[in-house]
Amino acid sequence: MILAQQLILGLLVGGLYGLAAAGLSLTFGVLRVLNVAHGELLMLGGYGTFWLFTLWKIDPFVSLVGVAPAMFLLGLLLYWALFQFVVKAHEETRIKNSLLIGFGLTLVLHALAIRFWTADERAVTTAYAGAVLRLGGLAVPWLRLTSLLFAFAILTALHLFLAKARWGRAIRATAEDWEAAALMGIPVGKAYLLAFALGTALAGIAGGLVSVSYAISPSIGLEWTLKALVVIVLAGLGSLFGSFAGGIILGLAEATSVVFLGGPYREVVGLILFLIVLVVRPQGLFGSRV
Amino acid sequence: MLEIKNLQVAYGPLLALHGVDMIVRPGEMVALVGPNGAGKSTLLKTISGLLRPRAGAIRWQDETIDTAPPQRIVERGIALVPEGRRLFAAMTVRENLELGAFTERAQQKKRAQMERIFALFPRLFERQQQTAGLLSGGEQQMLALSRALMSLPRLLLLDEPSLGLAPKIVESIFAVLIELHRDGMGVLIVEQNVHAVLELVQRAYILEGGRIVGEGEGRYLLDDDHVRAAYLGPLARGTS
Amino acid sequence: MKSLVGGILIIAVFASLPLITTRNDLLNLGVQIFLAVVLAQSWNLLGGYAGQINLGHAAFFGIGALVTRTLWVSGTPLILALFPGALVAMLFGLIIGVPAFRLRGAYFAIGTLGLAEILRITVGNLLPQISTIPATELASYNILPRYYLTLGMAILCVALVALLIPSRIGLGIRAVREDEAAAEATGVSALRHKLLALALSTALAGLAGGAFAYYHVSYYPQHPFTPAWTFDAVLISYIGGVGTVHGPVLGALFYVILRELLAVKLVEFHLIIFGILFMFVVLFLPGGLIEAWRRIRRMIARST
Repeated sequence: MILAQQLILGLLVGGLYGLAAAGLSLTFGVLRVLNVAHGELLMLGGYGTFWLFTLWKIDPFVSLVGVAPAMFLLGLLLYWALFQFVVKAHEETRIKNSLLIGFGLTLVLHALAIRFWTADERAVTTAYAGAVLRLGGLAVPWLRLTSLLFAFAILTALHLFLAKARWGRAIRATAEDWEAAALMGIPVGKAYLLAFALGTALAGIAGGLVSVSYAISPSIGLEWTLKALVVIVLAGLGSLFGSFAGGIILGLAEATSVVFLGGPYREVVGLILFLIVLVVRPQGLFGSRV
Repeated sequence: MLEIKNLQVAYGPLLALHGVDMIVRPGEMVALVGPNGAGKSTLLKTISGLLRPRAGAIRWQDETIDTAPPQRIVERGIALVPEGRRLFAAMTVRENLELGAFTERAQQKKRAQMERIFALFPRLFERQQQTAGLLSGGEQQMLALSRALMSLPRLLLLDEPSLGLAPKIVESIFAVLIELHRDGMGVLIVEQNVHAVLELVQRAYILEGGRIVGEGEGRYLLDDDHVRAAYLGPLARGTS
Repeated sequence: MKSLVGGILIIAVFASLPLITTRNDLLNLGVQIFLAVVLAQSWNLLGGYAGQINLGHAAFFGIGALVTRTLWVSGTPLILALFPGALVAMLFGLIIGVPAFRLRGAYFAIGTLGLAEILRITVGNLLPQISTIPATELASYNILPRYYLTLGMAILCVALVALLIPSRIGLGIRAVREDEAAAEATGVSALRHKLLALALSTALAGLAGGAFAYYHVSYYPQHPFTPAWTFDAVLISYIGGVGTVHGPVLGALFYVILRELLAVKLVEFHLIIFGILFMFVVLFLPGGLIEAWRRIRRMIARST
């Protein structure tokens, strides 16, 4: 029974891993830019939700309506200030520079968060936080279930945007072959900008959902960046739902390890899995591109 | 009208085009022939904005476009069907066509243009939901050509459209080009298949080593000694 | 020649510092500078010269610290404790490097990032208590051997890089950074050169970690594994001038001294400044302070 309960919790957190990974997958897939500050952006989204709740009592799910656009704007700003220069180089240099810039951004955002909000852990505790759905002998926290469904809904919406909308298709075309996309009249720079801002918004939304069911602090940034990276290595690039599934697999793997190895090694298992997959099958379990 | 004056294009320190002069008048069909590595693709890429010239000028409809980004050039009405087609292989035929009509101008006439294209290429209509990567070579070329047409160009640039295709398919594609030309579209076509293309066009340029070494009316170039010796001997069969 | 004379001068200044002053805070600052030089220069060898970005440099620093501390605290003489630290660090480096270098650049970076975190968490779980120098050692704690040990390490590290780079191996390493495919085509084994740079880089980082273990009176065993040390190495290398011999030295001086001055004010402020400066350097001034200095000299030369 303990295993089953842990697996349920692992499944629920896995959806958020998937959402976090999807944003990073989008920016890397389209821009070939690996923003290792992705977790810090998630952290910022979490703080946004936290402060909107703490200061103005706005329900966290409702506040996402404000947090998502704010993070989108932040993404525009970061692209304009930093990443537009990174994409000017060709792929090898681009990846290398994006790692460095992302690294620097991680440092700056982390330090700013500590400066403004201290290193203390925060959590959003709503009135309905403790509500639980009972299935057989298992307890499914309503809040986490709702977050999972929310994450899935967001990914579905994004998927539809990429599949049907003019700019969504433009982003996909740019990801596949930016020169050919340019020949269609697609302004590649704007496609990059849009993709990056969307990726940032996704990180922010994931962060908001994290703050609701789990604690946040400035140091969750690196943790979540690594989670996103693990999922991307597991699931490969190219599919949003692949990322989602990869996130769930990671969540389940962690849950299993908690039962057999105990809580403190939860993070380690994910990372070791990551190193193993990196060595054995770098294109991931479902991925199409490295 | 497309006017190219003294165009110099370099890859790093290596000059690929050494001062090229060329004209394509409105509604003209012009060929650009020459050996491998002459710089033909480079020229087309520069006109489309994928490459920037080191010196010289490109004027289109009285506008200087040599430093314009690719999307502006498409907006102005020049479309390139690139070498190797560069289709979005992961997307369907229809999605590729829709992407071709990305510009504002093309978006408005999208539906009508797509119908026109399906009329020209019924095969594409049949296969519109198919993933582009799974099409045959000939179908892919049709799609690449159609995709470029979706942007409602006034000048169509084609880079080696017959490469790797069976003669029958090449014939049908050239037939479509003739029809488009008859409707007033300008065409600049780069081809290895010199024989077929010189019958087709009104004028042709010969590019060798980054320089224009010959120019004349299509049919007469076929008789030109230089061209005969270089391209129409038994060795020049239209393959690379 | 000029830089050799300058180097000897700087070494002489630092070496004679303890003879001039007994201020512990200055000597401690010196130790921090020397550690920073080794940390950054070791990163620079792999990141700047071989072009492989290591985002988990702290892992190797930490391993060196862990091994050395464990051995030294349980009675092993320091010299014998330092080298196992460097060796084990190098081993871990190769464990990651061998598979990761077969793939493209990003995999090594995120692999090392992951490794550092795995080690930090595991060490934090297995050794949660603070590690303190035993009382006997504590009573006789003297900064001077630490000072000269770290100074010696810094000299060794810089000399090693300065001698390696112009050599045939160094040329091969730099060729791999420029264009791996081209290097392979001319007979330079990319993998072997990358692994060599990696081995040296991680061994030196491990050595620095060992010095840290000898120097610090008490710290949490997971502390040397925290990303802050990687940040230090990367930021110093780039701000000073990545891919040069002098860059990390200059950067270390600049960084540590400025940090001391700024730390008087708000604690995290210096990180924000350095982080922004670092990003600026990466995007617009890749040669760092060294390049800035060269440009200023050129401007002065032109105006005279």
